[in-house]
Amino acid sequence: MGSYLVERSVFIDWISRLARHEKVYFPLPVSKSSFRFSRVRSRSRLALEDFDDPRQAKPFRASACIPPPVRLLAPDNELLFTFRRDSAGDCHPTPVLDHNRRILAGVRPCDLKAIALMDRFQGDGIADPYYLARRGNTLLIGHDCLQPCDEYCFCEAAGSLSWRQGADIFLTPQPQARLLVEPLTDQGAALLADAGFPACSDVQACRARAAARRPTPFARQFKAPLARVMHAVAESWQSPVWERHAGRCFSCGTCNLVCPTCSCFDVRDDFNVEDPDSGRRTRHRDACMLEDFAEVAGGYNFRKSPAARQRHRVMRKFVYLPQRFGGTGFCVGCGRCGRQCTVAIDIFTIATDLLAGAGEAA
Amino acid sequence: MKAIDPRILTPTMVRISEAADMTAQERFFRLRLSRPLGHRPGQFVMVSVPGIGEAPISICCGPGDHDRLELLVRSAGSLTMVLRRLEAGDQVGIRGPFGTGFDLADFEGRDVLIVAGGLGLAPLRSLIEPLILDRQRFGRITIISGCRTPADELFGREMRAWSRVPGTRVIRLVNDTAHLPWDGEVGLVTAPIAGLDMDPAATLAVLCGPPVMYKFVIMELAGRGLAHDRIFIDLERRMRCGIGKCGHCQINHLTCCQDGPVFRLSTVQSLPEALA
Repeated sequence: MGSYLVERSVFIDWISRLARHEKVYFPLPVSKSSFRFSRVRSRSRLALEDFDDPRQAKPFRASACIPPPVRLLAPDNELLFTFRRDSAGDCHPTPVLDHNRRILAGVRPCDLKAIALMDRFQGDGIADPYYLARRGNTLLIGHDCLQPCDEYCFCEAAGSLSWRQGADIFLTPQPQARLLVEPLTDQGAALLADAGFPACSDVQACRARAAARRPTPFARQFKAPLARVMHAVAESWQSPVWERHAGRCFSCGTCNLVCPTCSCFDVRDDFNVEDPDSGRRTRHRDACMLEDFAEVAGGYNFRKSPAARQRHRVMRKFVYLPQRFGGTGFCVGCGRCGRQCTVAIDIFTIATDLLAGAGEAA
Repeated sequence: MKAIDPRILTPTMVRISEAADMTAQERFFRLRLSRPLGHRPGQFVMVSVPGIGEAPISICCGPGDHDRLELLVRSAGSLTMVLRRLEAGDQVGIRGPFGTGFDLADFEGRDVLIVAGGLGLAPLRSLIEPLILDRQRFGRITIISGCRTPADELFGREMRAWSRVPGTRVIRLVNDTAHLPWDGEVGLVTAPIAGLDMDPAATLAVLCGPPVMYKFVIMELAGRGLAHDRIFIDLERRMRCGIGKCGHCQINHLTCCQDGPVFRLSTVQSLPEALA
């Protein structure tokens, strides 16, 4: 598949034009410092990172998109089915799946990896038809990172830096305000076919140029390879580290809300206020950090203490899901949970402390 | 490519053919299905009243080529309070069956010890029924069922009937007679285990009850020399989907709804969150 080397402004114009007849989502500012993947409208101002001055934080980074883009594939308040009661009083529920085609543009590698992981999770065993319906009709345009988001990011340590699997098109910033545009799937190539972008004659050189622009190491690093970190977490059930970090936890669930690989949900039924013979069931994000998450009828709580719940959250990312899905860590190192935590509990620090504890014990 | 069921999270409405209070907390329902559910003992269904909510409920009837589905529902939350008011002719929604359940072939030729605490008897009835129905396929059957007071006893008449089946012993217990007439024993379900005539090499034990029960029953069974891979436990968790996605029923790396709710003790004994 041929790649292109195109001026950034030209590419952005192309995205804007695309958005006239496609549902295109792009990180758009919602405040001075935060962005959200939102539908591109004719007046939307799109911006991408500058190769020559990547520290200029005006355009988004993954960190600035507080709800991760995977939420567009499993939105909060998602409609599962509607129901209607007929004149005989019989109820007829009808599933409502979203098959709308959409394009998510500007997805950073950590979030691409999160989507790849959720594809596996949601497709495993009895698949979630709602996620797969959305995902099957969604194109992803990835965007490489040349600078770490900030001091919370640890994407390289988590194995997410340079992740491009799952993207249909992948963008890499280039000098002189240009972008390397690589189609990675047939759908991506088809989308670019009539864009009229100039071809890139040396993709490898462009990739290498961008890679050389990155600092080494890239963002925070664990003091051991990821596999050893995962092993240390797995062996840490009795560790005092949990209590040390969870001591100040409010159990607010913010870490779960912003995590791109957290997908737990609750469901809610509502009657239509105007027409009580009809209604809907929706699902809503739930959080394993909330106190009653693991409570059963009769009141027994399988994770009563904040430390037990922190342990569950961290184990789920580093141990439980990797156990089911062949060893890939489910923490992508985006840093969102630590960044948004109201009391500065950071999963990177927890994992680092567990690793240090494992070293002491050995 | 794997077939994806777009209706997996949408209930199918079925009609209640029979509804009766069994105790002050529990109501028994018989549903009439348009086709057999094809369930295994120990599986569960998600039961809905659209507009109100949904909850996992154990199937309490044995499997078979029949259009019946029986459920015993304890009033515990908003959904079950509504279910309590439903009568024959009303509809409920069901999804499933979900979970692994029991494999009757595991029990062939074995002695079976069933220990049920309170509402735990309901899911185990889905196993007891086929054991009794095909009695000669299995060894001795011992059922220990306990509840708080005589007024809380579930399936009392059926338990008396099971006790009359040759090779079947039923020990009914209450914690407290509460000054009510009672023809069973008084004590906890752990009490009779030490005195049972039991061959640990030929016996499979099956437990279901409140979280606190397991530890003590397992201790008694271990005292009788029963290996952990010969003990089945039927666990309860909150569930929102039944397909391993909502996260509520996760027990360490397993999901209760897909990997369970029936587990061999040997599978979950190393999981710190499995038992209370």
